[in-house]
Amino acid sequence: MGRARAAVAATVVLALLTVVVASAANARSERTTATTVTLSGWSAGKTEDDLLQQIVNDFNTTHPNIHVDYSVINGDYATAMTARFAAHNPPDVFYVDSSIAPTWIKQGVVQPLNSFIKKSKYDTTKFYPGLLNAFKVGKTYYGFPKDWSPLAVEINKAMFAKAGIKKAPRTWAELTADAQKLASSNAVPGGKPLCLPTDWARMLAFVFQNKGSLANVQSPAVAAAVNYYVSFFKKGLAATPTQLGVGWPGEALGKEKAAIIFEGNWLLPYMKSTFPQVGFGVGPMVKGKVNGNLGFTVSYSMAKDAKNKQAAWTVLSWLTGKAGMSKWMSLGLALPSRSDVKAVGGRAPFLAAGPFSKGWGFPNFSATLTIMNNDLQAVIDGNKTTADMLSDVNASLKG
Amino acid sequence: MTSATETVPAPGRGSLLGARVREAGWGYLFVLLPMVVFGLFFIYPLGYGIYISFFEWGILGKAPGANASTANYHDLWNDQVFHRALRNTFEYAILVVPLEMALGLLLALVINARIRGRAYFRSAFYVPSIVSSVAITTIAIFILNPDGLLNKIIGSDQAWFGDASTALYSVVGLNAWTTAGTVMLFYLAALQSIPTDVYEAAAVDGTSRLRTFWRITFPLLKPAHFFVLVVFGIGALKVFDQFYIVSNGTGGPEYSTLSAVFYIYQEAFKSANFGVGAAAGVVLFVAIFLLTLIQRATVGRAEIG
Repeated sequence: MGRARAAVAATVVLALLTVVVASAANARSERTTATTVTLSGWSAGKTEDDLLQQIVNDFNTTHPNIHVDYSVINGDYATAMTARFAAHNPPDVFYVDSSIAPTWIKQGVVQPLNSFIKKSKYDTTKFYPGLLNAFKVGKTYYGFPKDWSPLAVEINKAMFAKAGIKKAPRTWAELTADAQKLASSNAVPGGKPLCLPTDWARMLAFVFQNKGSLANVQSPAVAAAVNYYVSFFKKGLAATPTQLGVGWPGEALGKEKAAIIFEGNWLLPYMKSTFPQVGFGVGPMVKGKVNGNLGFTVSYSMAKDAKNKQAAWTVLSWLTGKAGMSKWMSLGLALPSRSDVKAVGGRAPFLAAGPFSKGWGFPNFSATLTIMNNDLQAVIDGNKTTADMLSDVNASLKG
Repeated sequence: MTSATETVPAPGRGSLLGARVREAGWGYLFVLLPMVVFGLFFIYPLGYGIYISFFEWGILGKAPGANASTANYHDLWNDQVFHRALRNTFEYAILVVPLEMALGLLLALVINARIRGRAYFRSAFYVPSIVSSVAITTIAIFILNPDGLLNKIIGSDQAWFGDASTALYSVVGLNAWTTAGTVMLFYLAALQSIPTDVYEAAAVDGTSRLRTFWRITFPLLKPAHFFVLVVFGIGALKVFDQFYIVSNGTGGPEYSTLSAVFYIYQEAFKSANFGVGAAAGVVLFVAIFLLTLIQRATVGRAEIG
């Protein structure tokens, strides 16, 4: 009896083992027929990671010859990627933020894509040109924007009502007038009408609105835009997030310490989850002499050290193509960087900026941004002149 | 005069010289592994860092066609931001180290006195030193906020980390407090190694307690002073994390929290100018090395170990 039971048990174990080994071998043989392409980016929260994994699964089902292996890089993305580049072991396809793109392109670690574009007749005209230019040097493409967000005007509705203002400001003149009305009617007790960070990642939009540019940063147009931005502090109509005791302008809006801020699409999920009780409105970014806005964008790019570049191109072009991007937009986490892909509802004030937004990034980015923002603080505090700041910035952009 | 154990050779095992060589051989064998690790992970990178500092060096190594030059040092010489970073670092070190020493010594004296609850106080004073600096700094940001606890108590609305005139000093205060516990341990060990007979002699002579402290305790703590000064002085010159956190990685406001290591990190890992980063590292290394030599010459040699 005991022996018979042992024999049955042994047979069952053996059968199970056979199944396991056979299926493992089977899986391995399936893998070997497909080319593996590694895909990496930083994590922007579990919802977004899960969505990308879903899209990758869709790709893998519809492309039996390619297997995309998606993994999140945790920690400081730029530093981690620098180490991977140096070891000649980067992911085949990866995120590149528009701010670091010039540095990585200059270092020769990003694959130029022109030959692939030509061979596969990939249509680049659907991308908003200002965003595409962030990943382009001369006529060479180094990536395609996967999504983006410009800045918009966000207002506290109750405070605007108290000051008797009907809608969000659309022009520089309206912005000044609204800020003064908010102040004189004491609509923002314990705060300021505006929360403006000491950050060129906001101020540069005003520079563009005044027909200024970084290529000619010491021009009167740039100086006038800086003086306009700083004037809100001088008149007591604005405060920095630090002065208001918050981490960023979004928190100032949520804690009702400011009535007007300039933030991107990322504000919407934040307000919904953290300050659902605060009624706020979104309007398009204000306009100066012209429309001007910053595009905060991220590309899918290919590594120069990618192992199978043709397969990597198939992945990259599918993800940034109409089908891939449409899926990516389904949850409304970001805005489409292609004009032929629709965004989820309520994003009109952001999308309006598509045709004229310029990608946020410039040469010698990190060192220059340090100088830009520290100097801007000094200008606001009255410890430096606008001209001196622009001279410092000019030197750093060239260095 | 040599000791007995060294002079008596083992019977029938060769000469005195042979025994010495054998003993030394074993000694070197024991230190071999640590020295290999030390060489591989410390001396080699140090030398390589100095080498890199003379080239234009990017993510993929030496820039194509780059020749050895002092260009990176020239860049540093002309870079106002680097000068400011160095100035901040030295200002920080000059302020924080004496403060840490004074606070640490005071705490050690309190603990060393025969008071009730010594064990409790010793732990309480030491706790800030073992808590992660990131956690402490983050909490300090809340406390020193314009509408934070400190301002509620003193009735002001100062943005301590957000104002260029107070940011550096706020970090000095914060770090002096967190580090004082560790300094206390070193002073406590030194205090307890002072022989009691000198105090007894002073007591017999009727010396006041204050005079006893300044004439006996303080001078006898000289090796501890030197040790703390060097170790914590070097630590202060390497300051990075607290500055990085309170300024949210910007070095602001108005460059007031930009430290030398912060500059190195930014040049090397954010801008991929590894050559400039390495050169700045060499400058900081030389500065620390020179300061240590000066400290040795002026304060004296460390004799605790």
